[in-house]
Amino acid sequence: MSLDLGKQTNTKGQLASLFSIWKFFGGIPVLKGVDIDIVAGEVHALLGGNGSGKSTLMKILSGAYQKDSGNIIVNGQSVNFPDPQTAHSYGIYLVPQEPKIFPNMTVFDNIICGMKVKESAFSERVEAYARDLGFEGSIMDNAYSLSIANQQLLEIIRGLVRDVRILILDEPTSTLAFKEVSALFERIKILTKRGIGVFFISHRINEIFEISDRISVLRDGNIVFTKDTRNCTAQEAIKAMLPALDDDESTEISSAKLEAKAKVTADKSEAILRIEHLSGYGFSDVSFSVYEGEVLGLAGVVGAGRTELAHAVIGLDPFSRGKVVFKGVELKNRSPLKCLEVGLGYVPEDRYLHGIFLDLPNKYTITAAVLSQISKPLISKKKEENLAREFIKNLNIKANSADQISRTLSGGNQQKVVLAKILSANPSLVILDEPTRGVDAKARLDIYKLIRELQKKGTSIILISSDLQEIIQESSRILVMHAGRIAAEFKSSNFDLEKITSAAFGLGVSI
Amino acid sequence: MKLKISFFKQWDAILLILLAAEILCFGLINESFLNIKNLLYSTNDFMHIMLVSLPLTLVIITGGIDVSIGSIMGLASIIFGVLWKFLVFPLWLSFVVSLGVGLLAGFINGLLVAYTDINSLVLTLGTMFLFQGLATGLAGSIGASGYNGIGGFPESFTNIAYGACGAVPYAFIFVILLGFLIFLLLNRTPLGRSLYLIGVNKNAAIFSGIKVKRVIISSFIFTGLGSALAGIFLTAYFTSSRSDLGKDVLMPALTSVVFGGTSITGGAGAVSGTFIAALFLGYLKQGLMAIGVTSDVSQVTVGIILIATVIIKGIATQSLLNRMNRLAFKKATVLVNEHHGN
Amino acid sequence: MKFWSNLLKKREVVVLLLLVLMIIGISLINPDFGKIDNLHGIIANALILILLSLGESFVIITKGIDVSVGAAMGFAAVCLGLSANSGASVPLASFVAISAGIFSGVLNGVGVAVFNVPPIIMTLGSMGVLRGLMPVLTGGSWVDSVPQSVKNIANVKILSIDAIIWATLIIVLLTFIILKMSKKARYVYPVGDNEEGAFLLGLPIKRTKFLAYVVSGCFAGLAAILFVSQLSFIPMQAGSGQEMRAIAASVLGGVSLAGGVGSPFGPLVGGLFLTSIDSMLIFLKIPAFWNDAVAGMILLVVVLFDFTIRKMVEKENKKQRMLGKSTSYHGSTPQTRKVMEEL
Repeated sequence: MSLDLGKQTNTKGQLASLFSIWKFFGGIPVLKGVDIDIVAGEVHALLGGNGSGKSTLMKILSGAYQKDSGNIIVNGQSVNFPDPQTAHSYGIYLVPQEPKIFPNMTVFDNIICGMKVKESAFSERVEAYARDLGFEGSIMDNAYSLSIANQQLLEIIRGLVRDVRILILDEPTSTLAFKEVSALFERIKILTKRGIGVFFISHRINEIFEISDRISVLRDGNIVFTKDTRNCTAQEAIKAMLPALDDDESTEISSAKLEAKAKVTADKSEAILRIEHLSGYGFSDVSFSVYEGEVLGLAGVVGAGRTELAHAVIGLDPFSRGKVVFKGVELKNRSPLKCLEVGLGYVPEDRYLHGIFLDLPNKYTITAAVLSQISKPLISKKKEENLAREFIKNLNIKANSADQISRTLSGGNQQKVVLAKILSANPSLVILDEPTRGVDAKARLDIYKLIRELQKKGTSIILISSDLQEIIQESSRILVMHAGRIAAEFKSSNFDLEKITSAAFGLGVSI
Repeated sequence: MKLKISFFKQWDAILLILLAAEILCFGLINESFLNIKNLLYSTNDFMHIMLVSLPLTLVIITGGIDVSIGSIMGLASIIFGVLWKFLVFPLWLSFVVSLGVGLLAGFINGLLVAYTDINSLVLTLGTMFLFQGLATGLAGSIGASGYNGIGGFPESFTNIAYGACGAVPYAFIFVILLGFLIFLLLNRTPLGRSLYLIGVNKNAAIFSGIKVKRVIISSFIFTGLGSALAGIFLTAYFTSSRSDLGKDVLMPALTSVVFGGTSITGGAGAVSGTFIAALFLGYLKQGLMAIGVTSDVSQVTVGIILIATVIIKGIATQSLLNRMNRLAFKKATVLVNEHHGN
Repeated sequence: MKFWSNLLKKREVVVLLLLVLMIIGISLINPDFGKIDNLHGIIANALILILLSLGESFVIITKGIDVSVGAAMGFAAVCLGLSANSGASVPLASFVAISAGIFSGVLNGVGVAVFNVPPIIMTLGSMGVLRGLMPVLTGGSWVDSVPQSVKNIANVKILSIDAIIWATLIIVLLTFIILKMSKKARYVYPVGDNEEGAFLLGLPIKRTKFLAYVVSGCFAGLAAILFVSQLSFIPMQAGSGQEMRAIAASVLGGVSLAGGVGSPFGPLVGGLFLTSIDSMLIFLKIPAFWNDAVAGMILLVVVLFDFTIRKMVEKENKKQRMLGKSTSYHGSTPQTRKVMEEL
């Protein structure tokens, strides 16, 4: 299965080139013909949001996944990596995003596991790396008690200590402190001086601009551009990560927008939801209110803590402290079920992980939240069918029938199925978490129309999105979260893309 | 692509054909196989497998497993015998209490699986040791260990395993009803639907407000009850209450479920398949015996069927996914080409 | 001091100490228990369990399970008995037994490693197959007797201790040494501890799992040699139920069902412990009916304990990971701040 790829080989200085890489998971496309390469001695940053495919691409290069189509050229030869072992033999190693530790082995054994070396010769070298990067504790201790930062350092040392030509670092700094990051960057520079190529995956713009020589932006399975860092601005990079609409769609949306906006500012009434000093894992001391009928945009970059906040609100964070008051009643011992019962719905960020039942018919997902309502006590097939059909029609879901297996739908339609599921419970407030991620333009439009319809009905909405243009377009009011806290608030009269972007990245001040 | 639903109707049909073929084949060798009355009567031989595998289907659909079913059978049997003989409980009360023990055992299993994050294989392995130990201990302490057992049950009781309504044995009628009830549960109740949802995507089920813990506990309670029923049935069949009745039950029960079409990884399954597969395997054993293959040896065929089913299913699923990917790729490249053509 | 505290952290040491204490305690109540003859007998009885458990532990360490070891032993025993009875020498017959064990191991290994059949299913199925093959080989009857040469294996004494006890001890030590020296043999640990991590590091996962089942089968073959020589006849239920005791002995000895952990001394100590309990109850004149229940209870507690520790650690990690997100966000550097201000 492959396209005609023309002449493909390595140009001078290239360590590896990937041409036209396609990858599907169960029929769902994650990489759609990606071209990328790495040159000796460079740090090539890979930037993209969640679900853009950057991890998948690197896993293919490092042998953890198999490409469905495309070509990998190393040293002028077309190669195939059926497993990580083979990739290692070509000097390609991936440091994964989530540390994969063997808790019952020592740190040292963890690091050199799988290497064909004499252990005694290596302990000094490993020790040196450990001290250099600020690893705390002895490398001869068991690994089960390592702090998360130390675990990440362990993974990094695994990469450094192996004889690599191409090192891939997948979000290596997510739990590191400033000092450790600086030490890491020093190490990276030493490597690149020796001619090693480094792929650096991150969503942290400032780090990327600090360390990289080239930037590639990945969005929704495609490379948007690859540029030399010095010729690129942060603004360009951020903009490239956002979905693009073509002209027809933009006009249609703007005209729709005019209609809704006026209505929203008229209704400023009761606070339907009040969050008071909510703290949990990934966010702290968050307080805000949502008013009836408004669309509250929650802007921020990946890692700002918005999804974590939402999870805590619906009761999936057992360690959260603080108050959540809904319709005047404090919600204690929250759970997704309890929230749905009082009218608070959440559409998850990751529909595959948390939202949809892929290998079941659409109607199963659509009715999953309201099973007791369509039964008395046996499930009424008729009610189920009607409910499903109703939502398929209203949300414009492109499916052959309510029985179609969800896996065969497009991403946008799958998202609508998940939306239908939550909406079937008739919530008074819906939290939409990245509702248009991985969704095609037409479906996106449908979702924006849906937001307006919900508003008309009086439903309140919290819109979590990393697409700042989308947030500006849809919201009546915007809160910006950064590093787990509310950084700024913007009223609709003051919506300013640049100010909002700055606040999202932790710069600038709230108005 | 109406994949999953029609697959089961297809597979049920195939199983029925296999069953019919099997009966015909054996019938050629031994005429009694073609005698309906005989066929019905001989279901008593494997009724206990049916009683235990029907509810086991529920647990497997959620993606779990219960290996303690054999030990619950023994426990229920011994308690039944002890209550009736030594505490002189009336039969019906002993029956009810034994069922209660099965329910409790299932409840313990479900509680552990639902509330600890430990996988169900490990947990039910542990509870299997415990329940079996309790059964053996109880049996030994009243002198009923080994081949002795507790005997002397009245005919009114043993009739469960031998009586019939015309040509149809009581037990068979019962198991058809049970099968139908479980079918109803699975396909037409929120609880049953939740089993599938949990098996396909447990996290999504939680996010959808499904009472996952409650559903899981229920599924284990059902297997506990089924095991207790099977244990009591076998007690009637052997007219002896013993702690080791469930010794060789796990493999045929699992095979019935898996061969019946239920996916071992969860998310898909049907009781109808389990029912037909259990019949198939039951008659297989008898047919083999008719041609001189003892039940010791017929295990080989059951084992092979179990392994082969899982392997073939695995390969089939993999190639199906590959095909989906290829189709998606074709679709995508057509779009790309069109776009370039513009 | 640290050496001793580290030692006590190992489960097998704790269980051994417990065992010794129990032996001493019971000997005080009934001095006949502590007599060398009795202890020697207990150890001799424990050997089969120790060997089975040793093989089983390899599989458990890779996070698998093998419920066919009892059937494999029975199958190997039948092969041994039949070949000995038809004139094979002791070494040849032993070779046949070990080969039969390896055969069952290969069967399981192929199913689990190549075809990705869940271990419980594969080994349940092969258990049925092996059990069913036994009567096929013997024509339905028991193997009533075996040649004296085979029985003698259990009779040989070195330094007044059964040779088979020495042999088992040597096997345990050899296993320990091989694990210490061979990196490839030690792969079972990372594979069971974190299979995904092992995969990303390029470890040969399929091969490691396959070999674990082969080892398990091989040890079942070894156990069969002991079984036949000690029992001197082979009933049709030979080995039935042994797999559960083997798993129990492993778990007691510190081979966690969560995978990735355990040493060869675990099965040794666990096997001794389980076998001793039976004898202890006899000497204390306690009816032995409840010892399975007690063992079952202990086992359940151990399993829960093993896993709870593991889960607590994971939860702590998760907690830290999320805390890490909110507190250690890398702030901007002067250069990048300048870039951002240009927005």
